[in-house]
Amino acid sequence: MPFAAAPLIAGETYETALRFGEEAAAELAPLAEPSAQATCLRAQWDRIAGLGWPGIAVPEAQGGAGGDIAELAALLCGAGRTGLALPLATACGVVPTLLAGHPLLPEAASGIARIAAILPGATQDPGEESLRRHSDGMLHGAAVGVEAPPAPTHVIAFVEGAEPALLLLRADAPGVETVASLRVDGRLAFDIRCRAAAPDAVLAEGEEALRRVEAARDLGALLACVEGVSAMGALVEQTIAYLNQRVQFGAPLATQQALRHRVADMYVEYENLRGITAAALRAATTEDALPWRPIAFAKLRLGIAGREVAESAIQCHGGMGMTEELPAIRLCKRLLMAEFEHGGRVFQARRLLAA
Amino acid sequence: MAEPDYEAFREEVRLFALVHCPPEIREVVASYRKLSRKIWAPWQRILHAHGWGAPSWPKQYGGTGWDARQRVIFDEVMAECDCPPQYHHGLRHLGPVIIEFGTEEQKQRFLPGILDGSDWWCQGYSEPGAGSDLASLRTAARLEGDHYVVDGQKTWTSHAHEADWMYTLVRTSKEEKKQQGISLLLIKLDSPGITIRPIRTIDGWHHVNEVFLDDVRVPVENRIGEEGKGWTYGKFLLERERLGGANIAPHRMALQRVRDLVQTELAGPAREEERGLLLHRLLEAEAELLGAAELGRESVQAVMDGEPLGLLPSVVKLSTSVTMQSISQVALDAVGPRLAARFRRVEGEGPNADPPGLEWVQNYMYARVRTIYGGSSEVQKNVIARQLFGN
Repeated sequence: MPFAAAPLIAGETYETALRFGEEAAAELAPLAEPSAQATCLRAQWDRIAGLGWPGIAVPEAQGGAGGDIAELAALLCGAGRTGLALPLATACGVVPTLLAGHPLLPEAASGIARIAAILPGATQDPGEESLRRHSDGMLHGAAVGVEAPPAPTHVIAFVEGAEPALLLLRADAPGVETVASLRVDGRLAFDIRCRAAAPDAVLAEGEEALRRVEAARDLGALLACVEGVSAMGALVEQTIAYLNQRVQFGAPLATQQALRHRVADMYVEYENLRGITAAALRAATTEDALPWRPIAFAKLRLGIAGREVAESAIQCHGGMGMTEELPAIRLCKRLLMAEFEHGGRVFQARRLLAA
Repeated sequence: MAEPDYEAFREEVRLFALVHCPPEIREVVASYRKLSRKIWAPWQRILHAHGWGAPSWPKQYGGTGWDARQRVIFDEVMAECDCPPQYHHGLRHLGPVIIEFGTEEQKQRFLPGILDGSDWWCQGYSEPGAGSDLASLRTAARLEGDHYVVDGQKTWTSHAHEADWMYTLVRTSKEEKKQQGISLLLIKLDSPGITIRPIRTIDGWHHVNEVFLDDVRVPVENRIGEEGKGWTYGKFLLERERLGGANIAPHRMALQRVRDLVQTELAGPAREEERGLLLHRLLEAEAELLGAAELGRESVQAVMDGEPLGLLPSVVKLSTSVTMQSISQVALDAVGPRLAARFRRVEGEGPNADPPGLEWVQNYMYARVRTIYGGSSEVQKNVIARQLFGN
């Protein structure tokens, strides 16, 4: 029997997410037009909202399901195998952490409020400035390529300055402009530009704003690793299946030692990432606060291992590896993007070196 | 045992190590110099006197009766305290084979010397024509009365120059398939007809030797188990070793030492950038080790639960061997410009002085073997691929 990856967290949530992800991928696969893909993603978002996923880890008193990190991770674990093109880590983990007890949280939990989060390190196009609050309290500046659910209704923005703050504003407020694009992995991202936009609320200021941002990003990073492990496991399986089936020179490619060794290398990377992620996840579920160091190390590893495994999978698929519609290649692209989410490898390395 | 018991055990081992392991021994370990019998044997004597001579043996033969997790904790603490890892040839390789397959006389004759460190063993497996493909070995033993007469050559024989005995795989029959017809003999190294020659390895240390056997007479009672079943015993031995990779502590110690080396060797603001680059590489190695440590933890748990280890040992061996090489590369990059120019062959030999820190150059060279011994990386990948592809 060829290799079959075992999930980090098995169970009902995992199975549900896996089934959903498989259906979602099948729906998206034949759509070539970006606008058709965006429409499809919108419908898929409404379905996960109906399933209560955005509120999976939100306390019941605030309209959520009251699940813990393990429950949340199980969701990402199932969806990760399929490269689901919805921003689960952001919507189900990062945003609820940023909102904490805010009255918008129940709407976020039900998926009605679709929120883009602009955190420190958000990127700008050349010549643009990051988001700042002017003395009149109005917001100016830009963040580009912000991963978010379809048609965001709100923006959470971290602003630097003498007193850093976490602000909430409506995406349709005067002075806010959002432009959608599709990322390498088929997810939606938004360029968000503010010209004298008025925040609706201050979610947190000073130390509390920094603390909340850090906790949200670490949770996002941990969930990205969980997704990455699942994606990588599925990718190793699919690469093996391809090599077993593709015949060249009169024999399956799986008989070629060079390719077998490359797959063994992929597997070692996968197992190592699985190990470090399992350790970080265990620490996260047993300790009071999110342990940043194990998460930072895991995210660093995701960056390195993700690239290696994705590149190897593309190489092992030969010409097919350069085509867009192959499920394995979607997973490759998902891994490549996951590297940049919630603090990329350079960010994590600097943080670890500075500690 | 409950969780607090393991923690108490860890503390007990730590206290013992710090109090009883002589500073001159720990200093050799901490400075990454080559370990020899004169470092190992006294430490084994001390452990044995405390009843900890053989952590992996059953109690009735002088073992500790510890479970898998305790054994790994013991190894971890030893590494963290700079105590030598126990010399493995007797304790981990041959001892369990004698316990499983030896006669009562053999147990009484050989186990005590392994336990107290008075007998020193080496392994006569590899030959010029039989490395990874061990079953191709040709050293032959023919029966003459109550003795075998052994002719042939062993190579890469670690510690033969300081050992008393060599447990040796020899061919006693050429009739069957190559894995059959192999027997396991215990050969005293001062027997007439044995010549031991050092092999000069790239690290400048003396570990390995060629052992020539020329009409060496070995009493039949020194054969372990049945004639022709040596391959089975050899495999048994290798399977006993699979938990060895679960202890990541030596790797973590090496990482920390190289980090300190980078900080001191490249101290000062002028070298900040260079220092940062090397520290960044160590960070990546540290991340790899964290992943491997978790796989080690899973291995221990699997053994405790009586479950199969599957590919874990191969994965851990493959990845940690490469990580240790990466760490040694960083060390070489830190000291290389200063010290590689003053490399010396063997301690105390040749015209070169002995500049402090030279061990790091030797260690870099030595680290190359990590992906060769104990099942080369290529062999491990074959093993992994066979399992992954299902053929």
